[in-house]
Amino acid sequence: MSESGSWSPDGNRSSEPKLTCEEALARVYEYLDGELDASQHEGVRRHLQKCRRCYPYFDFERLFLDYIHELGAAEESRPGLKDRIREVLAAQPD
Amino acid sequence: MSIPAEQKRREFEGEALVHLDALYGLALRLSGGDAPRAEDLVQESVLKAYRAWDRFEAGTNCRAWLMTILRNTFINEFRRQKSRPSPVDFDEVSERPSSEGLYEADPEGRIFDHIIDDKVVAAIDELPAEFRVAVVLSDLEGLSYQEVADLMDIPVGTVKSRLFRARKRLQERLYEYAVEMGYVK
Repeated sequence: MSESGSWSPDGNRSSEPKLTCEEALARVYEYLDGELDASQHEGVRRHLQKCRRCYPYFDFERLFLDYIHELGAAEESRPGLKDRIREVLAAQPD
Repeated sequence: MSIPAEQKRREFEGEALVHLDALYGLALRLSGGDAPRAEDLVQESVLKAYRAWDRFEAGTNCRAWLMTILRNTFINEFRRQKSRPSPVDFDEVSERPSSEGLYEADPEGRIFDHIIDDKVVAAIDELPAEFRVAVVLSDLEGLSYQEVADLMDIPVGTVKSRLFRARKRLQERLYEYAVEMGYVK
């Protein structure tokens, strides 16, 4: 995707500097993780509204992160662990 | 006045030990699937919680309180050990061209509806510890970069780069798995 680095999809009249694809892609995880400040977030969001190259990639990464997050640290049972811990607790001084 | 020992034990068992499976699940992921280590971690954390039970505010989120104790217990040990060099050189990961393989093969991410969770859990467990812990804290537990950085005692920039490389590594493993099961070519 690096070949799209200098391509800016949004050449309109606004005086605000627009992100290139390379700049947007460099922020993909910070954007999806909610780690950008408001103006940086808005910059990426606006790039994605216009850019048909980056949007699908961001969407893919979002699905990936959602999947990992939903997987979570699932509950797991360990036979005998509860009994072992009860014994340890019972042996604690009052 | 402290509560009688028997009452304390009853209360603790009723409110805290019901979360044992959640604690063990987190311990297992943090320790990379090492069951005996995870078991020790849970026991140590539960014991700490029991000793601090007088300070737990009834009615607040007991599960979250216990998970925090377990995270901190793990991290203290992890930070003690971190001066040891990682046995795996992970620098190659970000350089490997296949890191975009999954996106190119399956841009709509349909694999995420089909993959078996155990395969992904195994891929997380296989990550070198520094990367695995960052992924577990951030992606599974939902902590911010700053929270992960504070816990792991590393700069926020290092958290970012570890997450980036770990996530690309996980995508590589998913890609390999997708090829194996004939889902993509």
